[in-house]
Amino acid sequence: MTGLGALIRLILRRDRVLLPVWILISAVLPATIAASTARLYTDQAARDAFTHASMNSPAQLATRGVIYDASVGGLTAWTLGSSGALIGGLISILLVIRHTRVEEETGRRELLSSGVVGRHAPLAAALVVVLAANLLLGLLSVPGLVANGLPAGSSLLFGLSSAAAGWCLAAVAAVAAQLTAGSGTARGIAFATGGVLFAIRSAADSGGVGWLAWLSPFGWVRLTRPYAGDHWWVLAVAVVFVAVAGAAAFALSARRDLAGGLLPTRAGPAEGSLGGAFALAGRLHRGTLIGFTIGFAAVGGMIGFSARGLDTQLDTRALRQLAETIGGPGAGVADVFFTFILYVMCQLVAGAALVSALRARTEEAAGRADLLLSTPVGRLHWALGHLFYAVFGPALLLAVLGGMAGLAYDGGLLRVAGATLAYLPAVWTVVGVAVLLFGVLPRLAAAVSWSVLGLILAVDLVAEFKLAGGFVLELSPFVHVPALLLGRGAPAAALLWLTALAAALAAAGLVVLRRRDLAPSS
Amino acid sequence: MSTAVRAKGLVKTFGRARALDGLNLSVKTGEVHGFLGPNGAGKTTTIRVLLGQMRSDGGEVELLGGDPWRDATELHRRLAYVPGDVTLWPSLSGGEVIDLLGRVRGGLDPGRRAELLDRFELDPRKRCRTYSKGNRQKVALVAAFASDVELLILDEPTSGLDPLMEAVFNDCVQEEKNRGRTVLLSSHILSEVETLCDRVSIIRAGRTVESGSLADLRHLTRTSVTAELVGPAGGLARLPGVHELTVDGDRLRCQVDGAALTPVLTELARAGVRSLTSQPPTLEELFLRHYEGSAR
Repeated sequence: MTGLGALIRLILRRDRVLLPVWILISAVLPATIAASTARLYTDQAARDAFTHASMNSPAQLATRGVIYDASVGGLTAWTLGSSGALIGGLISILLVIRHTRVEEETGRRELLSSGVVGRHAPLAAALVVVLAANLLLGLLSVPGLVANGLPAGSSLLFGLSSAAAGWCLAAVAAVAAQLTAGSGTARGIAFATGGVLFAIRSAADSGGVGWLAWLSPFGWVRLTRPYAGDHWWVLAVAVVFVAVAGAAAFALSARRDLAGGLLPTRAGPAEGSLGGAFALAGRLHRGTLIGFTIGFAAVGGMIGFSARGLDTQLDTRALRQLAETIGGPGAGVADVFFTFILYVMCQLVAGAALVSALRARTEEAAGRADLLLSTPVGRLHWALGHLFYAVFGPALLLAVLGGMAGLAYDGGLLRVAGATLAYLPAVWTVVGVAVLLFGVLPRLAAAVSWSVLGLILAVDLVAEFKLAGGFVLELSPFVHVPALLLGRGAPAAALLWLTALAAALAAAGLVVLRRRDLAPSS
Repeated sequence: MSTAVRAKGLVKTFGRARALDGLNLSVKTGEVHGFLGPNGAGKTTTIRVLLGQMRSDGGEVELLGGDPWRDATELHRRLAYVPGDVTLWPSLSGGEVIDLLGRVRGGLDPGRRAELLDRFELDPRKRCRTYSKGNRQKVALVAAFASDVELLILDEPTSGLDPLMEAVFNDCVQEEKNRGRTVLLSSHILSEVETLCDRVSIIRAGRTVESGSLADLRHLTRTSVTAELVGPAGGLARLPGVHELTVDGDRLRCQVDGAALTPVLTELARAGVRSLTSQPPTLEELFLRHYEGSAR
């Protein structure tokens, strides 16, 4: 374990922004949910009605599980328990893989291991940081919950339950990181395992096979029953799981070579069939695009399914008022919330499109573009190969998202798919900004592009709740997309000028790209 | 003989740093040209200008009769490049990368490809993410040597190869030369340049400090002479062009300028010689002389 302290400091240094942001948001979220639950369902009758509706919705049972108690605390723990664990688990998986397998794959670990670093220190350091972060966000959420009038003991149990779920998935990732040489595959294995564990919990609650939930960390986070009897001992189940999986990870790590995996790396073809830059771009984008397509199809289906029962489930006076504030007079609660969720999902599609749009920059930064562009492949040709996927990728994703949502929601397939695809020009605008930055400020393109998307998200959130108006709103391309489901019309003009804007931004970026020096990151 | 690469007074600045500061380079068609300099001297920057990846801020540059910036795509049909730090696509196999590079360069000779894979002992089925630095270099080298091009631009191509593979590399460069191809070989490995190159250019801090054949450059430097003498050679110390003379009993060592060799040998013969070794300067010594006092 020599060098453990130094490695922990290295991880903290590298994630000095990400970790605090994640911990802070996760610590504040429970209190926000508790406050809004208390505001929306002011009396026990409203909470009982909501609970009754939710427990009759298979979609709610599948995504969030069983409500054990119709109190403000009970509903807060239900709202956040399973889905909070999903988000915390996702981030924990990403962090553990990032500081173990990615380090080995890039050869940086080799550099460190040749110094005074013990064999198990890197894995131990990653786990220490991620487990500590989960514990911290769990503990930090307690004061906010108590401030909302919830009992301190149950709040602590709720915080620790969330932490325990993060711990379990971090341990899953620690094992996955030992299995394969490629970090992408390791990440995939960890996500798939997480997905199966979530599905087990889903099946348990929606299928009425309650005991199944005991097999999944997503079950344990609810089975501790915070605010509903407080079964503290369930935490021990999670701790045992983490101990066993952690020990397995260290044992596997001891049995393999540095940079090697336990599973053999599949050999590739001895001869290639890639005929040029477009074919290469296709190969590089293919995996990500397939993954996103499956993901958005699943999410679309889930959204549509969940939205089915919303009109009865959310039928309170407060919510009807909120719906009318957002959607205008006479707007249905379900349509409003459906529109809002689609809106958020479309911004996630913009995130996926940004990954594709910045791929060319990734290639340039890694130095791979140097090699390819020393051949007769021209810069424009090369960049267009990647841009193709940033333009048509999101079209596919939106179509799949809207299509699946429309199929599952009884609001009509074409109506929903059309409303979703209407966001395509707004997504393209984000892509256009990224391509412009790739041309003009290659070294900052990724950081600035993501910041721009983050800013757009913030503007949209402000817009959605009518907290600001006028000029600020005009800054987000998404605000200009008409909400077709709410019967707001005149789409053609806004969609056309957004498309034109996106095309102009991208064209400007490509023109500059042809005239500038290539800029690898080293 | 025509010129494959000609650069005159090349300037490239990055902010306030001058990476190239009036660099001259002339590579004749059909020769193997060594491009020597310490790390940070501007070798890679020069190559990036030649490949049209960067535009120079001043000076003239011509590559295969064209403008490397304006005619980049056309010129790239006629050259192959191996970067100093080869990064490849992690999910592709080595064979796929070789064939991709070969195809975009206009096709490669399958027989030559197989032969090179064999000689470099490279497994083309492995994924690039699992290759070591040396193996990634081999992928780029096989793709370059198997392509039908006029000019090879190799940027420190052997920095990850073991000595056995270096020998294979040397053979390959020799074969390319015999086929009439031009090779620009940047290096700081001196023995490599010494065995392979017809002419060399030595650069330092973005400027060319010396250019010519190895024989030309040796004129500029000193031969080291060690002799065991019968009698004293007292006149030696007074001869111009004799440096670092040490006498230890009947043994004598000194450094002699090229032009002073004849008078030195005459003086030694007069004293009577029991044994004599004279060593031509290695490129190492050439280098040391050029970078003496260059600590900036």
